[in-house]
Amino acid sequence: MTGIHADIDALKGLHGALARYRHAQRDVTARGEDQVRATRAALEEKASQLRAQLELSQGEYADCRERAAQAGPEDLPVDCSGYARAVAQNAERLEQIQLWRQRIEAEASEFSGVAGRFAALLADDLPRMEDHLAAIITSLEAARRVQAPS
Amino acid sequence: MISRPEQDGDQQLRLLADAWDQAAEHWRDGPARHFGDAELGPLLDESRTYLEALRKLMDTLEAAERETQG
Repeated sequence: MTGIHADIDALKGLHGALARYRHAQRDVTARGEDQVRATRAALEEKASQLRAQLELSQGEYADCRERAAQAGPEDLPVDCSGYARAVAQNAERLEQIQLWRQRIEAEASEFSGVAGRFAALLADDLPRMEDHLAAIITSLEAARRVQAPS
Repeated sequence: MISRPEQDGDQQLRLLADAWDQAAEHWRDGPARHFGDAELGPLLDESRTYLEALRKLMDTLEAAERETQG
């Protein structure tokens, strides 16, 4: 009996595998989108913090330069190089984050075309394949019933 | 450790390909060939294309997180 219906059993196995595949890959696509959102948010947060640090360091640098400008010939020299380095470092890190954000936007945009086709495949084509396979199984089962000895 | 989504996608792709191999051992008529060539084949191809693109994007996201730390 198993041998006679092995093709039908195999098709039912494939039908189940297609349905599981559709659900699992939808989860994969959702996790991919979540990851893009999470990284965007993390970079935005880092950029926001760095902008605040940059403003702070620029203010401290400006204060230092003012103190240096107001210092008299008898005063100790005012060294603002540490503040200048802090400004440069914060600006460089902010620039680096902005470059990563631009790169992610460019790659996410490129990815969206492929992702859109795959999403349509999961939403439309795969259920159609499952229906097609189910119809084949039904047809094979009906033919076996007709052929079965009474 | 949480796996990356495209790795799970690869695993699902292998499971589906295995299911097809098992089905193809018993289902070898014309409709089977048509299903394999015209329906399942393109699905597997498009899935590979998607998963490769996802892998590339996930690599970029990981690099961005890593390179902007601290």
